Amino acid sequence: MWQRLCLCQVKGFVLAGRWQYAAPQNNTESGSKNMEVILETRDLRVEYRAQNGQGKKVAVKGLNLKVHAGEVFGFLGPNGAGKTTTMNVLLGFVHATAGDAYLFGVSVREPIARQRIGYLPELTYYYKFLTAEELLRFYARLFGIPRAEADRRIDQLLRLVELEAARKRPIKTYSKGMQQRVGLAQALINDPDLLILDEPTSGLDPLGRMKVREIIQRLKNEGKTVFFSSHELGEVETVCDRVAIINQGELKVEDRVSALVEKHQANLEQIFLSLIGYQAEVTA
Amino acid sequence: MNRPVRHSLLLLLLASACFTLATLLQPRVATWGQRHAADSLMKVVLGDGRRLFANHFFVQADVTFHSGYYPSIFDRDQAPKGTRHLTASPEDHAEHDPDPASPGREKDEDHSGHACEMSFLGPPRDWIEAFGRRFMVTEHTHLKGGKEREMLPWLKISAELDPQRVETYTVASYWLRNLGKFQEAERFLREGLRNNPKSYEILFELGRLYNENLQDPNRARNVWELGVRCWDERESKKDKPDLLALDELTVHLADLEEKAGNLARAIEWLQRALRASPRPEAVQERIEDLQRRLAAGGSRPSP
Amino acid sequence: MNTVWALAGVVIKELYRRKDFYVLFVLTAVMTLLMGSITFFNDPRIASYLKDICLLLIWISALVIAITTTARQIPAERENRTIFPLLAKPVTRGQVVAGKFLGCWLASGIALGVFYLFFGVVSASREHDLAVIQYLQALWLHWVMLAIVVGLALLGSLVFAAPSSNATICFIVVLGILLLGRHLNQVALQQPEPLRTVVYSIYFLIPHLEWYDIRDLLLYDHPGLRWTDCLLATLYAGVYTAMLLLGAWLLFRRKPLHA
Ligand SMILES: Nc1ncnc2c1ncn2[C@@H]1O[C@H](COP(=O)(O)OP(=O)(O)OP(=O)(O)O)[C@@H](O)[C@H]1O
Ligand SMILES: [Mg+2]
Repeated sequence: MWQRLCLCQVKGFVLAGRWQYAAPQNNTESGSKNMEVILETRDLRVEYRAQNGQGKKVAVKGLNLKVHAGEVFGFLGPNGAGKTTTMNVLLGFVHATAGDAYLFGVSVREPIARQRIGYLPELTYYYKFLTAEELLRFYARLFGIPRAEADRRIDQLLRLVELEAARKRPIKTYSKGMQQRVGLAQALINDPDLLILDEPTSGLDPLGRMKVREIIQRLKNEGKTVFFSSHELGEVETVCDRVAIINQGELKVEDRVSALVEKHQANLEQIFLSLIGYQAEVTA
Repeated sequence: MNRPVRHSLLLLLLASACFTLATLLQPRVATWGQRHAADSLMKVVLGDGRRLFANHFFVQADVTFHSGYYPSIFDRDQAPKGTRHLTASPEDHAEHDPDPASPGREKDEDHSGHACEMSFLGPPRDWIEAFGRRFMVTEHTHLKGGKEREMLPWLKISAELDPQRVETYTVASYWLRNLGKFQEAERFLREGLRNNPKSYEILFELGRLYNENLQDPNRARNVWELGVRCWDERESKKDKPDLLALDELTVHLADLEEKAGNLARAIEWLQRALRASPRPEAVQERIEDLQRRLAAGGSRPSP
Repeated sequence: MNTVWALAGVVIKELYRRKDFYVLFVLTAVMTLLMGSITFFNDPRIASYLKDICLLLIWISALVIAITTTARQIPAERENRTIFPLLAKPVTRGQVVAGKFLGCWLASGIALGVFYLFFGVVSASREHDLAVIQYLQALWLHWVMLAIVVGLALLGSLVFAAPSSNATICFIVVLGILLLGRHLNQVALQQPEPLRTVVYSIYFLIPHLEWYDIRDLLLYDHPGLRWTDCLLATLYAGVYTAMLLLGAWLLFRRKPLHA
């Protein structure tokens, strides 16, 4: 029932009018090398000024990533590895110290076509005096979506994230998981071609997680590209075409999930732990 | 969030609300019989601030009288009289002032002095000032035609805040008398007298009310004579006694006695006035005139 | 422009969903009605003191609303991290500044409208007529002045880290200008030379908010302003606000979003 609902919802807005950008031509079967590159970083380096002294903290060191059209790409790493920082660079919130990043082939230093991106930040408290419906309408207006169309999408999205019952309540009355779902809904309001999701399942109950997985799966089937970070390796394993694992700002591995599992003869969790230096446990 | 600021601002507003309330309720509370308790409480809470506010409201009355045309503290460098101005202004601007003879007063000079003092706006120094003038009141006018009543609330509030400020009562009474509010004037002066029992200024004003407005010369005489006694008590020992007040009291008493036909008594008062008046020659002239009439046996007043 | 209006709409919704405005309005109304309930010397026709107090409270409340609303906007976006999903949309930082300004200004305008309506009722109930032209001019100029104040607070919110310190500083500056701005040239002329130029320059640089305070004209039945003067004052405020917003935009453009 869940699944069917998701399917028809997502289909619903893929078919929707002129805000639909030309979906990538390529077929959606996972990342072959000659597919269009949607997201790319080249020797990306980000340094933060340390809060106390003149020293600096390197959050990302020479990161090279390529995400192809129609891929679901898992971005993994322990806490503080630099995942959020990388996403912030992609969205233009943080400027790279060195190297560059590209979305749809355009440097993120340029004012890019954000029209085509959906972004779910981590830990956001949306305008708490607005209701979910008003929040979504506000974001829809930012994309210039006409009112009637916006109303339709808002209905669909609220059904999708199961917030219909709470749609007229101010967000300050929502639980953490409900806020996270509002976040997911707002990331989808413009029917984006590229979704950048920072820990989309954090704070969600098992059912909610499954649902997010379903949504990602549907989006993939619609030919969208999804780039997301997560700590839930099981879910990453089931939903991702390819993953990258970074530790302390450095890329440890970037490959297809199936290839990794084959190569290391272990599940993703064990591979992850070994890559970030938790050797003892794995060999034990 | 800026909770603290918002709260402190609200607190400030609430404090001012309380202040207003306290100001308004204090006299009412006082009449319930704990006047001294309430009074001292107010003093403790507000201290000298009260007097400061009282002065502010007194000035506000003057501002109202001039319909907002008023020098700021920056302009008042040129205006040495400061707030004494309002006490002078009633005398100056009431053409229908029923008091005919005030030998000590030079009306024309005073009036032009006031006009001079109030022409504090020089030519504009720069374009900002010139343009700013268009948004200000730049004309020196006085309230008239009953509109003078608009200044009364400020005087009342000022008196509530600083009941020891005698000026407030006399100025308010002057305007109340002009507006024909004799009962209110008397009540207010009596209130002032309760707060300042030895105030010859208030007694003088009260006497004028009785004499000029309520046509009760006997009460006026009593009040003025009491005024002179209070003056003697308070001022005579001072290095610089308030001679102007004595002059006014005695001259008014002399007028009253003259009208009543007691020429000898009138001369006595004028002789006191002689020592207080800034223009003794004029007083001397009047004394001589009265003495001539007394010698001619005219003990009854000419109508 | 649609984006700017959408941003402004959120600010306006915030104003009427928070309690600040209602608290200030009720406080103003209660104090005015309280003062109005007293009759001084048995004369119910006395009105100007009441209008004076009401207008003073309105001025204070309007400043409180404008400054506190504006001062918290961008810091709250950063603190609650709503700035991230916002800027991930096709919204430039310039539009954020413009939208926040418009929202705060319109919100203060709405609040001001309510306050002046109350003033109109109080005034009319006492005097049985209202100087409509002066009333409208006072309202308009007051609102125009708030544009400068909102611009100032917006700029301040990008300069000072804490919204509370920003609000306090804005208050002091605005009150200072309202009370002293007119006289700074006079003060300058009384100073010895190096200081004199400094003070005079300040005098020329500050926005002359005191112009927009035409309460005296409204209170004491003076004739209204010339419309050309109104227009010029509006232009002056427009130019000043534009400069402040430009400054705010330049600062915001470089500002790292992570505190
Ligand atoms: N604004 C900042 N100033 C200084 N250092 C920062 C800042 N933001 C992040 N960092 C540092 O950069 C590093 C990477 O942080 P980042 O938020 O990208 O990690 P992450 O991979 O998203 O971790 P998590 O899984 O916990 O979300 C961390 O060491 C963090 O301390
Ligand atoms: Mg993170």
